[in-house]
Amino acid sequence: TPLSPQTRAARVRVGKGDKPVTYEKAHAPHYIAHRKGWLSQHTGNLAGEPGAAERALEDAFLRRFLYGTFPGILADEVVLKRRANLLVICAVLVRGLAPAKLYFLVGYAETLLAHFYKCPVRLELQTVPTKVVYKYL
Amino acid sequence: VLQTLASTVNRVSSSVDRGNGLNCLTHALTLHAGGSYFYFGVNERWDFYNCFLQGFHFWSTRFDPTAAHYMFQDDPFLMPRNAANSRLFALSKESGRNAAKYIIKQFPQYFDKTFAEPNVPCLMPETLTPQVEGVSEEALKERIHLRRVKDSVDLFDQLIQAGTPVSLETTNSLLDLLCFYGDEESTTEKAGEEKEDLEEPGVNASEKATPKRQLERGSQSSGSRWRENNNAERIFKIMPERNAHSYCTMIRGMVKHGASAKAYDMYIDLLNERHKADVHTFNALITAVPSLKDRFLERWELAKVFLNHMAQQEVQPNLLTFNALLKTLRRCGGVGRSMSLLVIKEMEALDIEPSLATYDHLIFIFYRGVDLCSSGIISEVLDDVEKRSFTPQDPDDANFFATAMQACCDLKDIKLAYRLNKAMEKGDNWKFLDMDRLNAYWSKFFSLLCMMEQIDVVLKWYKEMSSSLFYPTPKNILDLLQALDAANHLEVIPSVWEDMKQLGFNRRQELLEEILSLMSREQHPEEIQLAFAKCAEDIKAVHEQTGREQAPLEWTGSALGHVALLFSRVGRTQDAWYVNMMEQFQQINRIPTDQVMDEFLNCAKQTNCPDEAIKLVKLAASLGLPSSQRLKSRMEKEFELSEKQK
Repeated sequence: TPLSPQTRAARVRVGKGDKPVTYEKAHAPHYIAHRKGWLSQHTGNLAGEPGAAERALEDAFLRRFLYGTFPGILADEVVLKRRANLLVICAVLVRGLAPAKLYFLVGYAETLLAHFYKCPVRLELQTVPTKVVYKYL
Repeated sequence: VLQTLASTVNRVSSSVDRGNGLNCLTHALTLHAGGSYFYFGVNERWDFYNCFLQGFHFWSTRFDPTAAHYMFQDDPFLMPRNAANSRLFALSKESGRNAAKYIIKQFPQYFDKTFAEPNVPCLMPETLTPQVEGVSEEALKERIHLRRVKDSVDLFDQLIQAGTPVSLETTNSLLDLLCFYGDEESTTEKAGEEKEDLEEPGVNASEKATPKRQLERGSQSSGSRWRENNNAERIFKIMPERNAHSYCTMIRGMVKHGASAKAYDMYIDLLNERHKADVHTFNALITAVPSLKDRFLERWELAKVFLNHMAQQEVQPNLLTFNALLKTLRRCGGVGRSMSLLVIKEMEALDIEPSLATYDHLIFIFYRGVDLCSSGIISEVLDDVEKRSFTPQDPDDANFFATAMQACCDLKDIKLAYRLNKAMEKGDNWKFLDMDRLNAYWSKFFSLLCMMEQIDVVLKWYKEMSSSLFYPTPKNILDLLQALDAANHLEVIPSVWEDMKQLGFNRRQELLEEILSLMSREQHPEEIQLAFAKCAEDIKAVHEQTGREQAPLEWTGSALGHVALLFSRVGRTQDAWYVNMMEQFQQINRIPTDQVMDEFLNCAKQTNCPDEAIKLVKLAASLGLPSSQRLKSRMEKEFELSEKQK
């Protein structure tokens, strides 16, 4: 069915053309599986698998935690991948802090989250010089 | 067949090549293959190559040459480029972990929900608060178990004052606790202090090695000094009855924290009470011998006294006894050399397998002296080490590979180094090298390679090892430059300069001098000369960098001359003149050499700038150089000057 014109979910409204927007933000949710991937990958939503709601709650907490731990240098949304017990957090950062400080935050986040969720947590980072702009809206 | 051939080549070559000359020798080999004998003539070059191949095979199976250590993130911004950075990043990650652990300890209520099935005990907060309240022996035992030094001492005092007798075992375990921690608080505060001390030397160590700081760190990490009349001694004195265990822990505690004389007195007391010491006490006493006596022979005599007592009290020595003995012999000079082999024989007689620490002490005793004797001992040691995979049995095991590689470097024997590498590959032996030691080990190996091997081998090792396995030190870069010089491969120098910039060595005076003098020594073909000029430009930029973080580097006379030369050779007259005129004359009052002047004239002739040439001659004249006349005449001959210019 075609979309209702009143939908406002996860869409950045067109403005004057000076607002830089990443690829993730620029695409509305109906583009998921067409032009976008998934930000959180786990088996909770497969038929007969338990725990989807818990995973969603954990995701919400993790995204807020990482937004606060890496203040201002997260370039894009964090991708969470769960493989068996392991939680892999893939983040793209802007090069705003010295590498030693980044390593401090990585060690801190990994240990704290592992103790919090009782599972091994691995943080995989990629750094970019500036936020990657897809278009200006 | 190739394997047996390779092994026989190694055996023959290691026994034949005493004087390792570079002229081609032919060895005759007997190869026993399937019952028939036949002779092979091999020359030394093939021999070298074979060792190199074997050495290469080792490390490509064990380490990934394309990436940094796996503890670092795989990103060009986050990858460490030199040894100081790698240590800094590793330590900052560790301190992040400690920060998280601190938070978990402070707020255990947020982390103690057990919802995982099965429960993961290592991810739960530790319960370190004692459960049993009140003043009783049970409470005391629990506090001792939780390693709370101060609390247990207080509780013990309360119990004694209240009059309740404390049993001998509990008192003994309290003494154990006190002697182990040297009467200071364990865990948090001490760990905090240690980590601070570790962070700072980590950053400063590469700049300046201050011995004071090292000493501080050493004394703090080995435990504090034994104070007069501290809690352990006090409790020991008020104990109504003491058994052998009490004396033993006191002795071990005193030795651990540096009060060796007191330990010796305590031991005499123990003998007077006719108790028997155990093997750990004897080990501690033997380690304390160097601080009890000064002269070599006296030290050895005292150690023998302890050994005799051990035999009398029928205490069986173990591996650590012999290692302690060898450690004492390390500080006994010549006596050590003669006695250590007897110690080894004794170990074999008692059927105790030597550990890596044993070999480490041996190599140190024989190869760190002023006069290096023959390489017999180290070959035998390597024979033993190559055969088996070791498990850690002694804290000093970790030093073995570093000491052995140092000995190989001192003996200038590359084949031994390859054998050592192979031994490190075997089984679990590579685990003995942690990050710092790994860097030191490989950098020594690389220096040895630069000295002894052909240049293509050196370059191959350098390209593969350079950022993944170890980070070259300034000395390694110097050795590499000298090896390139010896092999006449100076065109590689621009890429070495790139590496130097990446490693952060582009402000080191001695490296800059070396690289400039090598580049400017002779005339080279065109492209190489252009590349050299680019390097010279970079170096000039380093010297002129203003403000930001670092003060600009001071020019030296020779460096300026070389840079001017390099510019002139390529025909960059403006740059050369700028270097000449501005820097040399005005700022540091140096006089350009004749060679520089000549080259500059050549350059001016090539690029057809007679004005520049005139300026040069004027400069020479104003400086009153003896060569100004010669330059003037040369200029008149070679240039076509208009009347005005004349």
